Amino acid sequence: MLLVISKRLISTLITLLGVTVVIFVILRLLPGNAIESSMGVNAGLLSHAQILQLDHYYGIGESASSQFFSWLGATLSGNLGVSLASRVSVSSLIGQAFPVTLELAIMTMILALLIGVLFGIAGALRPGKLGDAAGQGVALVGLGIPSFVIGTAVVTILSSGFGYFPSSQTWAGLFSNPWLNLQQIFFPALVLSIGIGAAIMRTTRTAVLDVSTQNFIRTARGKGLRGQAVIWRHLFLNALVPIVTMSGIQLGYLLGGTVIIEQIFVLPGLGRLLVTSITSHDYPVVQSVTLLFAVCFVILNLLTDAICALIDPRQREN
Amino acid sequence: MSGITYPPRIAPPYRVLRGPHLLRQLRRTRSGKAGLILVGLVLLGAILSWIGLTPHPPEAEDLHATLKGISLNHLMGTDQFGRDVFSQVLQGLGVSLEIAGLATLIATVVGTLGGIAAGYLGGFTSTVIMRASDIMFAIPAVLLALAIVAALGPGVINSSLAIGVGYIPIVVRVVRAPVLSLKRADFVNATRVLGYSRTRVLLRHILPNVYGTVAVQASLSLAWAILAEAGLAFLGLGPPPPTASLGQMVDASQTLASFAWWTLAGPSLAIVIAVLGFNFIGDGLRDATDPRSRRS
Repeated sequence: MLLVISKRLISTLITLLGVTVVIFVILRLLPGNAIESSMGVNAGLLSHAQILQLDHYYGIGESASSQFFSWLGATLSGNLGVSLASRVSVSSLIGQAFPVTLELAIMTMILALLIGVLFGIAGALRPGKLGDAAGQGVALVGLGIPSFVIGTAVVTILSSGFGYFPSSQTWAGLFSNPWLNLQQIFFPALVLSIGIGAAIMRTTRTAVLDVSTQNFIRTARGKGLRGQAVIWRHLFLNALVPIVTMSGIQLGYLLGGTVIIEQIFVLPGLGRLLVTSITSHDYPVVQSVTLLFAVCFVILNLLTDAICALIDPRQREN
Repeated sequence: MSGITYPPRIAPPYRVLRGPHLLRQLRRTRSGKAGLILVGLVLLGAILSWIGLTPHPPEAEDLHATLKGISLNHLMGTDQFGRDVFSQVLQGLGVSLEIAGLATLIATVVGTLGGIAAGYLGGFTSTVIMRASDIMFAIPAVLLALAIVAALGPGVINSSLAIGVGYIPIVVRVVRAPVLSLKRADFVNATRVLGYSRTRVLLRHILPNVYGTVAVQASLSLAWAILAEAGLAFLGLGPPPPTASLGQMVDASQTLASFAWWTLAGPSLAIVIAVLGFNFIGDGLRDATDPRSRRS
């Protein structure tokens, strides 16, 4: 058991190292450099000596591998560099943005699990009936409509139809103004949870249907257990592993989705930070935010597998 | 004869389906039929824009007819510059299909070769390929695409590359699984006995047997690529104007939709039809190639 865990942790570390290499290669070694991106057209006016000085300042002159290791070392020690656009340290920018995205992600996952699991079970208990068919249809459309289309429609309807757009006020912290904060986070989370909820619902339905044909369910009903007890203790618990796995897969979609949703609902989170820094060629920020997203994704995947192993003893053996 | 027991045959997990047969099978499944109709509509629109037969020139502004509602002349109304939304949507579909097609081509060709190599050759090659695909998989695909576009700059080729790369690890994994069991199938052993070269076995005997799997992934990848392309364009990282793109149209409609809903509805409808269409075809192909998935 301990061997399995340590093996898994080591392979996760190797993956993370690989991720840093990939991000470094994409953002550092491809065309365009820090001088041009921070000074724009003015870079053409620099003298040769000034360019060399700046090269030295940004560490561009060195070989790719030494650049990589100095970047990795600095990142690991918590020094993420300074934003080229705002001259503020990247870690303080991330420190402000991260809680927003985290809250959005948690809220989305709660809503998606509620929608997905409840409707999925309800559909599986009466397969082929009107409610099930309606749920299936809605899920299909939910998977097909991109979140930014739903988001734009929701913002339009709320703001023009009801004159309601909580995000137009400045972002309220969770602790300083919980009520406004909840209003600001609810609609973006709801929009984002539709696609994820639809995917979870389809998985839940299939998993519960699979379990419901098994003998022990018939036995449980036969010995006179109440319906609810059968559903939650026998059906749901046994169908939980595919549901958790599916939720883990959707996390990647969730992290990508926050980027777009934060843009629509003007939430000052990591996604918005990423997009503004991409358009202003602020590479130190792009690099750190992308890396942070990837690290979160890897850790969440590890957690998903750990939860599956906790739920199902059979998973522990592999 | 009755006393002879044959060694258990390991059946290829997916049936080989090619060309006309594939289309016929697809038409038999319900989702396949729906998908073919929707994708047919999308293709028709894209072809109209490629040969320049849109009802109005997509970039033509008409300041006397700004923000006009739906009419026979303007099937999806006009935008704030008086451009015909329907013609723009057709052009957007054309661009979208170009990018999604190229991205899918990149993802399926690289992914299939990688998956076959990892599955058939095994050993060190397999470890390297699977490690690399694990690493790519660890970066959420949309973010990978964002980072690549950020580095390369927007454009049709760059967007395709950015979107296609993110789908490679999925194709690698899905293709590798059937190759692992095909490797031990009797007919592959037979090719070895006959002394065929490794390249010939891989290309003539293994590859055709994963066409079905690849086809399913290709159509799902098309759906994903259309979504991703629209998302990138929505964030302002799509092909530069004046080329119309569906995501950029949705973005522009944010300030208009409250009084001109058709500027949002037109491009959204096109995206949804295209995404659902390719998803349905993917489901249909899966039902047609993998009998096990048909029961649900």
